Amino acid sequence: MSKSVTGAPRYAESEHVEIEIASQWRLMWWKFKRHRMAVVGGIIVLIYYLVALFAEFFAPVHFTTYKEEYVYAPPQTIHLFRNGKFDPYVFGYRFERDPASFKKIWYIDESVIIPIGLFQRGEPYKLWGIIPGNIHLIGPRNPEDPFYLMGADKSGRDIFSRIIYSSRVSLTVGLVGVAISLFLGILLGGLSGLLGGAVDNIIQRLTEILISIPTLPLWLALAAAVPLDWSPLQVYFMITIILSLIGWTGLGRVVRSKFLALREEEFILAATLDGVPLGRMIFRHMIPSFLSHIIASVTLSIPGMILGETALSYLGLGLRPPVVSWGVMLQETQKVAVIANYPWLLFPALAVIVVVLALNFLGDGLRDAADPYQAK
Amino acid sequence: MWKYLARRFTYMVFTVWVITVISFVLIQLPPGDFVTNIVSRMISSGGRELTPEYEAQLRALYGLDQPVYVQYYKWLRNIVLRGEFGWSFEYRRDAVEIITERMPMTASISFFSFLFVWIVALPIGIYSAVRQYSIGDYVFTFLGFIGLAVPSFLLALIFLYISQRFFGQAMIGLFSLEYADKPWSWAKVVDFLKHLWIPAIMIGLGGTAGLIRTMRANLLDELNKPYVETARSKGLPEFKLLLKYPVRHALNPFVSTIGWMLPSLVAGEVIVAIVLNLPTSGPVLYRALQQQDMYVAAGFILLLSVLTVIGTFISDVLLAILDPRIRLQ
Amino acid sequence: MSDETLVEVQDLKIHFFTDEGVVRAVDGVNLTVQRGKTLSLVGESGCGKSVACRALLHIVHPPGRIVSGKILYHRRLDNGLSETVDIADMDPKGREIRDIRGKEIAMIFQEPMTSLSPMYTVGSQIMENILLHTNMSKKEARALTIELLAKVGIPKPERLVDEYPFRLSGGMRQRAMIAMALSGRPNLLIADEPTTALDVTTQANILDLMLELQKQYDMALLFITHDLGVVAEIADEVAVMYLGRIVEKADVDTIFNAPMHPYTQALLRSIPKIAMKREELDPIKGMVPSPYRRPGGCPFHPRCTKALPECSTIVPAITKLNENHLVECLLYEDLATRKAMERPS
Repeated sequence: MSKSVTGAPRYAESEHVEIEIASQWRLMWWKFKRHRMAVVGGIIVLIYYLVALFAEFFAPVHFTTYKEEYVYAPPQTIHLFRNGKFDPYVFGYRFERDPASFKKIWYIDESVIIPIGLFQRGEPYKLWGIIPGNIHLIGPRNPEDPFYLMGADKSGRDIFSRIIYSSRVSLTVGLVGVAISLFLGILLGGLSGLLGGAVDNIIQRLTEILISIPTLPLWLALAAAVPLDWSPLQVYFMITIILSLIGWTGLGRVVRSKFLALREEEFILAATLDGVPLGRMIFRHMIPSFLSHIIASVTLSIPGMILGETALSYLGLGLRPPVVSWGVMLQETQKVAVIANYPWLLFPALAVIVVVLALNFLGDGLRDAADPYQAK
Repeated sequence: MWKYLARRFTYMVFTVWVITVISFVLIQLPPGDFVTNIVSRMISSGGRELTPEYEAQLRALYGLDQPVYVQYYKWLRNIVLRGEFGWSFEYRRDAVEIITERMPMTASISFFSFLFVWIVALPIGIYSAVRQYSIGDYVFTFLGFIGLAVPSFLLALIFLYISQRFFGQAMIGLFSLEYADKPWSWAKVVDFLKHLWIPAIMIGLGGTAGLIRTMRANLLDELNKPYVETARSKGLPEFKLLLKYPVRHALNPFVSTIGWMLPSLVAGEVIVAIVLNLPTSGPVLYRALQQQDMYVAAGFILLLSVLTVIGTFISDVLLAILDPRIRLQ
Repeated sequence: MSDETLVEVQDLKIHFFTDEGVVRAVDGVNLTVQRGKTLSLVGESGCGKSVACRALLHIVHPPGRIVSGKILYHRRLDNGLSETVDIADMDPKGREIRDIRGKEIAMIFQEPMTSLSPMYTVGSQIMENILLHTNMSKKEARALTIELLAKVGIPKPERLVDEYPFRLSGGMRQRAMIAMALSGRPNLLIADEPTTALDVTTQANILDLMLELQKQYDMALLFITHDLGVVAEIADEVAVMYLGRIVEKADVDTIFNAPMHPYTQALLRSIPKIAMKREELDPIKGMVPSPYRRPGGCPFHPRCTKALPECSTIVPAITKLNENHLVECLLYEDLATRKAMERPS
């Protein structure tokens, strides 16, 4: 396949009519670019993963940092201009005690102004546990001031920072889970599609059975069996394995159908007649021809993993504190009273919805682009 | 057709059998067994410890000293012959009683979600395909994506917040207070139906979004098929043509989506029920899993799975009735 | 039989408005179909012949649209008089055109495998056409269907009427399609490459059947094909199409014996003849240009061996060589007159 793109063909003198040639990936890129929502989705996904990677920098404070005096403080709004000049700030807090329950009732105090800014010096951290630093993307000019963009939780921890740190766990659960699913899917789907016959039949039955079990109850049951004394890391991997145990079926089906279709293709027949060995055939001829489909399917199966982890952790059967993930954060909203009084605790749900939406758009665009020759 | 149905039936029986194995494995998964469970419960409720001899006697009594496959056989035999699913520590009765109490609710909510999904997805899918790239198509596509991205339990959480915020009370449960503990009556059924639509929609929304996309894609494929042209060249009116030919064809893959939709509906029902605390199998299953009341949990998973497998088989039968190519095989 | 014009296509233009640009699939086509005669429309794939013939039923797929032109259909009325209607002017979903489709003008297609729906029996799909256009009862329609199936040479029609299309062979299916087309007793049968998907023996049988039925029913036949062998066998008149235009039109003998347009000549050179010595075939050089990059001037000039320098700029007009022979090529145009005519403007 030539990578060159020739200009507009000239008919006048040239003896032969030139044909425009573009590589498969370039055609896909052209098609993908036209799908605007997919491009937006891709950018959002990229931002999410960047934020997760540099969480220490993007989060104003560490996810364990707490200030007892600001328990359940409501979210502050950023104001950009003061006295006609660009000078971003947030308002401070004041509270009253409820005479009956003795609980704090928070008010935004418009007389207290907390100046904020970008690249502020604040809480020291170690990026990835190695590189020390203390610059945060956004923060109050005075590090002692309260700064809760999305409010505070029951221990006075910053929900915004916790959401950022959570993305590390929640987003990688999807990636690791998909990696395992992909391995299983390509292995079993490939065997199924290539060998056919009895092997195909057995793997197909297995897939059907796994698909017919409602995922969530099965996940719940498997997760419930994870011993309580396991370390967070062990639990994390156990959960991803549980999620991918069912997730591979979709990928397996894609791989299988592609292999089945390819067996009938003429270029494969041509390669067979040329005596190309099987291994080379699979990796040199077959997989490249459907790699784009695999990438699209993978993108579309990450959201399911993220949602699965969120659901399990929300129910307290997945990851557990001190690990933070969006699902773990949502555990606090299990009580209706909490949702009613402190609705900002639902912000992690927003984080989940946005990234899942973005991944869906991205995957959809990739899937459409994966068939560059197909007319729309 | 009979050959096809016989094959699908064999698959169904086989699938159910594998599911019983998986369910039994779930029972075995948590550390310890039935007797350790009794012991720990006795200790936690202030009872005295049992001697190792007595524990061994108990194990022999419950057959726990036998190999796993014998235990599996006995468990399965009890289910099939006596309809007993195993003892629940939580409820101190056989798991089957708890399950049968809750299952009908789960089944009816899932069924109504299913109806909702079909009634909404079918016309919208047709509309989106026929008016491809129209404003309506874009709007439905966008809403569909949101429906796919917002899982039912988050939807339930958001709904809880909204109902609390704007109606002053959390709309949870399936019955009004005055009917909750009353026996079934006509008025209670009406009350039930009044509450039903909220969880039914929440559970069905994701499936609806998926199905709209399936229907749209299927129909777009069919709209350009030569047989549509043939029918048009006969002079059939467009609307009749649409319903009689492409829609009729696109319906076949649509029917076979029951197979993958049912498990996700049931899964959605379970978690929405937990969030909204509905008197269905969800919260009981959840509690059973938290307490490691494994016979109840395994029983629920077994029955939920079997329900979806039967649903899939029904969709196979339906497909055979609808599609002469399968019927005449 | 008198030479009576049945359908007249005048300067028909059908353009497709795609995101990538406008595709002029049919770009000023003129055609005349005589009552009871066979006109064959010949051309390479993608020349617009299928689009043009579907337009006779006003079936144009979006994003395509009839941009201009007339499709005049001359209809005999019961009282012996005749009337002329413009099909291009009708609402494509309206009652008027739907009464013509399947009744006065019928169509059969290339793919007998997929042109019939696998969901309904062959009989019910033929009956549908009868019930749509007549007042017959279902029973009468069924009897007529069986009769038609017998007429197109389907064995055991009373049994096959209840059979599903996917249980019939390709040839049988095409026969069933012909029976369906005949059921409205049409004045014009449009056949879009009806034999291309069939094997050679079946092809011959179907062609014979169509010719025989044409006589029996006194129908005109518009036969679209790229197979010149079929043309020689079936056509009275031939129209050669290239990139949306009719480049040459004449009776069948003239086309085969004295073709004038370089494209027609090239087409004829490119087919093997049995009597031919071991000469090499002479394919037309180059490829059909992309529909988005139509050459200027005469659309054929980049591939033409006889192209003049003017061919890349001047669009040739119709030249009447004699009463029945029309050609669109600068070789036969009086360029001096043309230039003289164009100068004043």
